[in-house]
Amino acid sequence: MDLPNDLLNTTRRRFLGSSGLAFGSMALGSLLRGDSKRPFAPKVKHVIYLHMEGAPPPLDMWDPKPVLQKYDGQLCPDEFLAKARFAFIKGHPKLLGTKWGFSKHGPSGADVVELLPHLGQVMSDVMVVKSMQTDQFNHAPAEFFLFTGSPRIGRPSMGAWASYGLGSDNHNLPGFVVLVSGNLPSAGKSVWGSGFLPSLHQGVQLRSVGDPVLYLKDPPSVDRATRRRTLDAMSDLNRLHGEADPNPEIEARIAQYELAYRMQMSVPEAVDIWSEPKEVHELYGTEQGKVSLANNCLLARRLVERGVRFVQIYDSGWDIHGTSPGDDLMTQLPKKCRELDRPLAGLITDLRRRGLLDETLVIWGGEFGRTPMNEARDGSKFLGRDHHPHCFTILMAGAAVKRGAVVGATDDLGYQVTDTPVPVHDLQATILHLLGADHERLTYRFQGRDFRLTDVAGHVRGELLA
Amino acid sequence: MDFLRAPIAILVVAAVAIAQQRPPHWSYQRVERPPLPSVRNENWSKVPFDRFVLARLEQIGNAPAPAAERAIWLRRTSLDLCGLPPKPESVAAFAADLQDGAFERAADRLLAEPAFGERWAQMWLDLARYADSQGYEKDDLRPDAWRYRDWVISAFGRDLPFDHFTLEQLAGDLLPGPSIDQLVATAFHRQTMTNTEGGTDDEEFRTDAVIDRINTTMSVWMGSTVGCAQCHDHKYDPFSQREFYQLFAFFDQTEDNDQPDEQPTMRAPNSAQMRRTTELQQIAATLREQLRGDKTAIAAFAKTQRERLASAAAAITTRSPWHLLGPLRGASFDDAFDRPRAPELQVQLDEEQEGQRWQEREDFGDGKVHTFGGDNSANYLYRTIQASAAATVVLSVGHDDALRVQWNGREVFAKKSSGAAMPDQELLEVTLKPGNNELLLKVVNGGGIGGFYFDLRASQFGAVIEAALQKPEASCCEADLLTIREAYSRFAGELAPARALLVECERELASLLGPLVPVLRELPKDRARTTRIHLRGSFLNQGDPVSMDVPACFPPLPQDAPKDRLALAKWLVSRDNPLTARVQVNRFWEELFGRGLVVTSEDFGRQGEPPLQRELLDWLSVEFMECGWSVKQLLRTIVLSATYRQSSVALPGMYESDPYNDLLARGASFRLSGETLRDQALAVSGLLSKKLLGPSVMPQQPDGIWGQMYSGLQWQTSAGEDQHRRSIYTLWRRTSPHPAMTTFDAPSREFCVLRRLRTNTPLQALVTWNDPQFFECAEALAQRTLRECPGDDAAKIAHMLQLVLQRAPSPAELQRMLLFVSIERERLGSKDSVLPWTLCANVLLNLDEFVTKG
Repeated sequence: MDLPNDLLNTTRRRFLGSSGLAFGSMALGSLLRGDSKRPFAPKVKHVIYLHMEGAPPPLDMWDPKPVLQKYDGQLCPDEFLAKARFAFIKGHPKLLGTKWGFSKHGPSGADVVELLPHLGQVMSDVMVVKSMQTDQFNHAPAEFFLFTGSPRIGRPSMGAWASYGLGSDNHNLPGFVVLVSGNLPSAGKSVWGSGFLPSLHQGVQLRSVGDPVLYLKDPPSVDRATRRRTLDAMSDLNRLHGEADPNPEIEARIAQYELAYRMQMSVPEAVDIWSEPKEVHELYGTEQGKVSLANNCLLARRLVERGVRFVQIYDSGWDIHGTSPGDDLMTQLPKKCRELDRPLAGLITDLRRRGLLDETLVIWGGEFGRTPMNEARDGSKFLGRDHHPHCFTILMAGAAVKRGAVVGATDDLGYQVTDTPVPVHDLQATILHLLGADHERLTYRFQGRDFRLTDVAGHVRGELLA
Repeated sequence: MDFLRAPIAILVVAAVAIAQQRPPHWSYQRVERPPLPSVRNENWSKVPFDRFVLARLEQIGNAPAPAAERAIWLRRTSLDLCGLPPKPESVAAFAADLQDGAFERAADRLLAEPAFGERWAQMWLDLARYADSQGYEKDDLRPDAWRYRDWVISAFGRDLPFDHFTLEQLAGDLLPGPSIDQLVATAFHRQTMTNTEGGTDDEEFRTDAVIDRINTTMSVWMGSTVGCAQCHDHKYDPFSQREFYQLFAFFDQTEDNDQPDEQPTMRAPNSAQMRRTTELQQIAATLREQLRGDKTAIAAFAKTQRERLASAAAAITTRSPWHLLGPLRGASFDDAFDRPRAPELQVQLDEEQEGQRWQEREDFGDGKVHTFGGDNSANYLYRTIQASAAATVVLSVGHDDALRVQWNGREVFAKKSSGAAMPDQELLEVTLKPGNNELLLKVVNGGGIGGFYFDLRASQFGAVIEAALQKPEASCCEADLLTIREAYSRFAGELAPARALLVECERELASLLGPLVPVLRELPKDRARTTRIHLRGSFLNQGDPVSMDVPACFPPLPQDAPKDRLALAKWLVSRDNPLTARVQVNRFWEELFGRGLVVTSEDFGRQGEPPLQRELLDWLSVEFMECGWSVKQLLRTIVLSATYRQSSVALPGMYESDPYNDLLARGASFRLSGETLRDQALAVSGLLSKKLLGPSVMPQQPDGIWGQMYSGLQWQTSAGEDQHRRSIYTLWRRTSPHPAMTTFDAPSREFCVLRRLRTNTPLQALVTWNDPQFFECAEALAQRTLRECPGDDAAKIAHMLQLVLQRAPSPAELQRMLLFVSIERERLGSKDSVLPWTLCANVLLNLDEFVTKG
């Protein structure tokens, strides 16, 4: 998508005026080339990225360590502490083995904690990547790094890049949709922002309270028919004015309002998960009248079914430090696993049944890992782990990635990656690759520099691909 | 040289030599005023620079567009200069003024409006990355940030020359004897974010703030993107990594280092507050003098009080010992305090009450703290006091934690509090009757050790003063006399009005301290930092030390001047600086025309676009500097130019041959900013508040927009007219700016944004249709029309359209809206006579002509 700069600039106004209207318009691609030729054929059309805000502990979920169990409660060996920077750990910490049992699932015998029985059943569709790496150990920077390629605020989010580069298959819905259960991510809404890309591509948060999209609902005194009549009057007046002025932007303005009018119907239809049959709700474990990960997983399926390019799910409550009763690994992890287990298993099952797993990439993970040591902040008696950037586990599912595989490995304590390290920029490059975009060519000129999601790094990782 | 045979190395050397001989990039060359070109049509130009535009058009055989209608020029100019549509009376005055100089007079009126400062501050605040919050994860509020915003509004309002505007913001603290306002101006660079997330490294985020200051300074003043050089030499522009850290050094010496309380800060009262403070301080001094009293008055006071104390003391004959019942546990602290138990109804010393017996506690002597336990429990203390005569006495009670007091069977005091028991914590005046008096204390302890203190006093004065007054006059020492004098000031009845006034004075003085503003302050020399290159841009990887200097591709700093921020600021606005004036002129041009003469207004380097009309840009840049950097003068020249006055309707074929108006052969037309759209809707509906400056406000916003992880901050809609103030006063939280603004491409203000992109999305249509703020404007506009225009439907429609677009409707437009209104009225019948007009207003407030500047 590297367009010559002069072309980009000379088309900017036209683009902003007309093609900039529709969610479905493919950045500059469709405008300039007539069709959506991509560098190579896309393997997936949609991405559902489930982000567990706060960072779940891989050692208690996917990556059990017999050696760590053996030394549970003992002082951490010094070699791990030299030059280490922690967010909260002070002094000499003690190792913390997991408190739960694991069993093996799927063709590669992936380890799954007993807290996730339903997920265990779908591991033949899931690839476990145990060797993710980041270089940030505070939430906000790590989230920015994961989703925008830079630890600092201001760059476009992965979904915005996807929407910008590839457009959306449904012109009446946004190309990049965000669903949130619990608190907003630490990095705030900028983590799904469009940065310097046109705001059209920013993630649109479908809200669970009030209008699903801000200002979607007409004022109480305006019904649909009235809205139609106001729209007709508005268009007529715009055209009357346009008779004197051949400015093409006037037609663009009329189209912009027509789209808004259609969206007012297409969005409520898409978000109405309660029109789904009972067995679907049971599959996901949805809860009526609540904001939950389950409800959002079902909604995500409905959205990709309707052509949304990128669905970003955020679920908070995973930042388990063990500083207080509400933050105790022993109680909080089982609770979060319960909230995750059926919904994610249900989503994968549902996508597979509908054939959508063939064209959808599902990713699950956090912004970093958690330490093999107990944090014990200020001598806390509750168990918990501190932030850990050196390794973490993510799950990927979909026909485009290896089914039922386990990729990468960590050392005996789960402290460092020992096999197939996958830095964050590589994951980003691989996701864009699967969507049919070259991460080095999907760039945008801003303040004198061509920016891209992967900054100056990133490689497509064949080890992950089917 | 035979290139085919030359070794590669020689070719490289040759290429470098050729590159070095190339003249400097156009924007790095000193700005010189180009001569005005000759033109064939000598009548078109209104200001000198018009000739550049016309000459270019004539050269290619084109002609400029005809002038826009006067009403359209007025709307355009009002929106451009003040960010508001013209008021009906201005429209009428301008329409009636057919004399020469009408345009000049109209422009001068607009330049003098207070709205002018607000409008241009709006632009500057994007550059200053101004917000009312700290940014990052917690994004707590900076409640007094508005003081800098007000400084910017006032600076534009009084046309502070741009060179001074620069010096004060970048180095106001280094100016000789800086005024409060000059120090407030340095908050420009304290708009960087502050990270208060747990576990973060202050030095890391201080470094980020310094980097942000360099990037912002170089971008805003010089249109140069030096950011790349943070990690490596710039690939396209001549900035090395060393030069980046030489610039870093200018900003590396300030005290601030990412502290949650934003230190260093200063109180910044405005001039009215300072005047009032001086006044009040004088009044307070007079009052204090009055309260000091003279010898005679004090002696008289002491005599009266001595007698009074003696008689009260004499009245008390016997105090029984204390009796204790408790602890009596409650379901909670509140329950233990709120629920009356048996002794509160009647004390029966010889009976079992609440399953316990009263104990006599001889050990609970007066004038000491005594303790007892019991979590969430009440302890009752009972005693009797005998008096020989009626008198007024004071109970001195301390309590840990909460306290209720019954005097002679009536509750005289209740306080739910927590904390340790102390003497004179409560001083309760009660009337002693002759004979037996009953006292019951209920002390409620929350947890741990609880307790109480009791003594009986003859006055409200407290133990120390009483002791001094009870001594015979002759045996009073110096300290006692001081105590008595103090008692006089505090208690003498005749001084009550003076005391009340002083309290009032002090309360007002506290409110006049002024907002607490983060400012730039240099570290003392002995704590100066050594700036080093950060290898690969990481603050953990420190390389060679560097000292302050400017990049070598620009003119050097003066040899003799000391090197500091002030020197850098002066260098930025020196006549020899090739970029500052060009970049500013281009920015103002971009604001008015929608597109700069250098389209990439954020980048004047090699990667930026060359100027569309360099001579025009250079002429205006020199003019700007030679007119004393007056922004008002610059804008006045532009809005009065023939170039600006052209109609925005293109001549046939022009949209095709010159789609972006590179030739300036028509007027500008583009969508207004989110802020201007809202301000305009408020203005035409009559809702807009006229209030200027002050703390930020919260207009309506949908629920659930705020909700950051580690923050309990709530959006609370402002009361009254504060909901309807100009958008520049809307509270700006970086992680959640008002959604109606961001939908229209407003940046988050987390970092400096030099050029807002302009998109047109369906989400924007939803805002202007459905945002309650905009619909409220439609309702108000309907009401206003019905109120102001008693005529028939056609007259009402014409009136409304006049308010909205400052023009009369065409017959076809009128007919269409008559049809619309009649359908709505027929549908609604007598149910609602206003709604048809509200809907009509909703249509007009969404017209393309309304949301764009034409």
